[in-house]
Amino acid sequence: MDHFGIWLAAFLTLGIYSFLYRDNAWYKLSESIFIGISAGYWVVILFWDNFYAKFWLQRQDDPMLWVGAALGFLMLLRLIPKIGWIARWPLAFIDGATAGLWGMNFLASNIMVQTKATIMPLMGPAFSGSIGDLLSNLVLVGGTFCGLIYFFFSKEHKGAFGNAARVGIWTIMITFGAMFGYTVMSRMSLLIGRIDFLFRDWLGLLK
Amino acid sequence: MSLSQRKSFSVFPAIQFIIIIALTFVLSVNSFAQEATDDTTSVTSVIIAPPTNLLVEDFEYDDGEKLNLIWTPSIDDQPQVGKVTGYQVFRVTNDDVTTKIAELMPGANNFTDQELDKDSTYSYYVTAIANGAEASSVTTSPISPQREWVNFGLTNLFVIALIIGGAIFYFIEMGKRGKKLFVRKIAGLEAVDDAIGRATEMGRPILYIPGIHDMDDVQTLASLTILGRVAEQIADYDIKIRMPVARSLVMTAARETIKASYQAAGRPDAYSDDMVSYITDEQFGYVAAVDGIMVREKPATVFLLGAFFAESLILAETGNHVGAIQIAGTARPAQLPFFIAACDFTLIGEELFAASAYLSNEPKALGALKGQDVGKIIAAAAIIAGVLLETVIQLTDSESAATLLGYLRQAFTT
Amino acid sequence: MRREIPLAITVFVGFLLIISVFFPPVETLGEDFSLSFDIIAVFAFFLGGGNLIRIHLKKLARRETDWMFSIVTLGGFILMLTAGLLKIGNPGDIATSVNTEGMLFESIYRSVFVPLGATMYALLAFFVASASYRAFRAKNREATILLVAAFIILMGSTPLGAMATSWMPESLSIFEIPNLAVWIMSYANLAGQRAIIIGIGLGVVSMSLRLILGVERSYLGKEG
Repeated sequence: MDHFGIWLAAFLTLGIYSFLYRDNAWYKLSESIFIGISAGYWVVILFWDNFYAKFWLQRQDDPMLWVGAALGFLMLLRLIPKIGWIARWPLAFIDGATAGLWGMNFLASNIMVQTKATIMPLMGPAFSGSIGDLLSNLVLVGGTFCGLIYFFFSKEHKGAFGNAARVGIWTIMITFGAMFGYTVMSRMSLLIGRIDFLFRDWLGLLK
Repeated sequence: MSLSQRKSFSVFPAIQFIIIIALTFVLSVNSFAQEATDDTTSVTSVIIAPPTNLLVEDFEYDDGEKLNLIWTPSIDDQPQVGKVTGYQVFRVTNDDVTTKIAELMPGANNFTDQELDKDSTYSYYVTAIANGAEASSVTTSPISPQREWVNFGLTNLFVIALIIGGAIFYFIEMGKRGKKLFVRKIAGLEAVDDAIGRATEMGRPILYIPGIHDMDDVQTLASLTILGRVAEQIADYDIKIRMPVARSLVMTAARETIKASYQAAGRPDAYSDDMVSYITDEQFGYVAAVDGIMVREKPATVFLLGAFFAESLILAETGNHVGAIQIAGTARPAQLPFFIAACDFTLIGEELFAASAYLSNEPKALGALKGQDVGKIIAAAAIIAGVLLETVIQLTDSESAATLLGYLRQAFTT
Repeated sequence: MRREIPLAITVFVGFLLIISVFFPPVETLGEDFSLSFDIIAVFAFFLGGGNLIRIHLKKLARRETDWMFSIVTLGGFILMLTAGLLKIGNPGDIATSVNTEGMLFESIYRSVFVPLGATMYALLAFFVASASYRAFRAKNREATILLVAAFIILMGSTPLGAMATSWMPESLSIFEIPNLAVWIMSYANLAGQRAIIIGIGLGVVSMSLRLILGVERSYLGKEG
C-alpha cells in the first residue's frame, strides 16, 4: 500500500474506534465515507457482475434472462405512483420462488438429515462400552428430544411435559454457551489484527 | 499377483525411471532445442498397465445430460510406488471428435461427464499416465444419456413432504373453518405489545432491522411478515418507525409492507416512504450507519429480526447501550447466543418463523403452527424408535429389529 | 386485481419450484430463479441508490443536523461509481475486472473500504467483552447455564484451563477442563444444535407454505 493509503487507512481505523468512546465528528466522517464508498462499490460490482456478465453478454443465449429483466423493469414502475402497485409482481415472484426453494431444501437438509443422524445405539454390542458412553449418548439423544419438546407450540409447558421442555431449553443454552465461548477467541484475534496494522504497517513500531 | 511379480513390476522400473528422468534432464539442458515438456520425448521403456473394466452408465434420474464412468485403476497405480501419476479421460462423439475431458489424480476410478446432449452418442476411454508413458483402456461402445421424467430417487422426500406439508395444510383448513386452535404463549412475542407501548410512552422511535440478507432468504421474508403485524400496531399508536436496510429489494418490499399495514389500520395518510431507507449493501458499512442511528436517535425499541451474521453482536450491544428494549430473532444458530446475551427477548430459530402467525392470532395462521408440531412428533418418534431399535440390535442381534431399522433409516434418507 | 395477480404469481411460482425438485427436466428451475433474482436486484438498485442520493440531497437542502457529512457520503458514492463504471486507470480492456490493480476503483477499495470493514469487524472484540461482562451477571438459571458452558469452552482452549485441573486423578480425567470442553462440544452442544436445526427446518417449511398459500401476505395487507 502506498504511503497516502496507509495514512488514510489509519485515520479511518482510529475514526471508527473513536466510537467506542462516544459518537463524534471523526466517527461520523469515517461512517459517511464508508457508506458512500461501499454503496458505490456494490453498485459497480452488481453492474459488472450481474448486469454486464450475467445479462448483457448472455442475453441472446438464455431466454430466462429476459424474465429477470422484465421483472426488474416492473420493479421500477414503483417510481410512477399511479401504476406503482405493479412493483408487487416481481415481489410476488421472489416470495413464491424463495418459499418454494427454501421449503424443499430445509425439509431435506434440516429435518430428514438431522433426524436420521440422531438415530444411534446407546451402547456398543453386548453391553460393551462404559457407563460414561451410555450417559453421553443419552444426553445427545435425550437433549435433542427435549429440545424438540421445547419448541412444541400446541401444548402448555406444564407438568412432565414442562419439565422436558425445561431440560430442552437448558440443552439449548449449553449449545449457545459453547458457541459463545468458541467465538470469543476468534473475535479477539480480529482486534489483534487491527492493532498489528496500526503498530506495524502505520507506525512501524513492530518489525 | 505373486510377490515376486509385484517386485519385478515395481522396484526395477522405479530405478530405471529415475535414471531415465535424470538422463532426460541432462539431455534437455544440453540441447536448447528441446523443451522439458515436449510430448515427443522418445522415452518408451517405462511400461504401465492400462485401466481396465471401463464401464459407462446412464446417470440415474437426470435430464439426459450426464453419464457415469467407472473403471478399475491400472495395476501399476499403487500408493507406495507412485508410478502412475494420474488419469486422463477422453470422450469420443458420434462425429469422431476426441476431447480430453478430465485429468484425475492417481487412484481415481470414476468420473461423471456432464452437460451432454441426449440426442448424441458418446464413447470413452481412460488413459493412465506415467512420466514418459501412458496406457489407454479400450474405448467403450457408444451410449446416449437418457432423460428420466420423474426422480424416483426422491420418493422418501416426496412422502415426508406430503405428510408434513399435508399436516400444515390440514390445520390451516381447520383454522379457516373456525376450529379453535390452542397455541402456547411465546415470551418473546408476548413482549412485542409492551415494547411498542414503551416507545409510545417515551415518544421515541422504533428501530426495525430486517437483517442483512436479501429477499431470496426466507428469514428476510419472515421478518417482513412480522413487520406487517408490528407496523399495524405502530400505525395505531402513531409512533415513528425507522427502518434502515441493506438491500434495495428489501427496501421496496418493506415500504409496500408498511404501507399496506397503515392502510389496514385506516391511516394511509400517515405513511411515508422515508420510514424505510437504503444505506448500503456492505455488511459493516450498514452496521456503522445503524450504530450511528442508534446513538443519535436513541430508539425506545429495537427489533432485530432476520438473517444476521457477525454484526449481530455489534448491533445488539449498541442497542443495549442506548437503553432500548430489544427483541431479536434469527435462524442463524451461531448468532443466537449474542442476541441472548445482549437483548431482552430472543426468538430462537423456529420461533422467528412462527412469530407472524402468532402475532396475527388468525386461526388459519395458528393452524400452520399446529402442522409444524406434527413434524416435530414425527421427528421425535423416529428418533426414539430408531435409538431403541439400534440399541436392541446391539444387545440381541435381532434380525427383525434390523429390518425395521432399515426401513426407518431409509424413510429419512434423501 | 391488485391483490389477485401477485397472489396467483406467488402460488404458481412457489408450487412450480417445489415440484421441480422431483422432475429432472425442470430441476434447474431453482438456478434459473437465482439468475433472474440477480438481474432483478440490479434494477432494484436504481431504487436503492436513488433513495440514498435523495435522502442526502434532502438533508443538504434542508441543512439538517450533520448535513456536511451528507456531502461526504454523496461524494464517496459518486466517486466510486465514476471510478468503477468508467474503469478509470484500466490497464486492460472492458473485460478486465474492476478489482484489477492499477484501477482507481481498486485502490480506493484497498485503502478505504477494506480497512474500514476490517475495523468495524474488529469492534466485535470490544463488544464480545462487554457482552461477556453482561452475561457474568447471570440473571437466571438459563443465563447461568450459558455462562458456565461458555466459560468451560473458553478455558478449554487455553493453557490455563489445562493447568487449573491437571491435578485431578486419572479416574476423574473427564472432568479436566479441556476434556470437559470436548465433551460439551460433542454431546450437549450437538443435541441442542440438532433440536434447533430440526425446529428451523419445520419453521421454514411452514413459513413457505403460508407464503405460497397466501396465509401470510405482508405487502398485500389484510384480506379485503
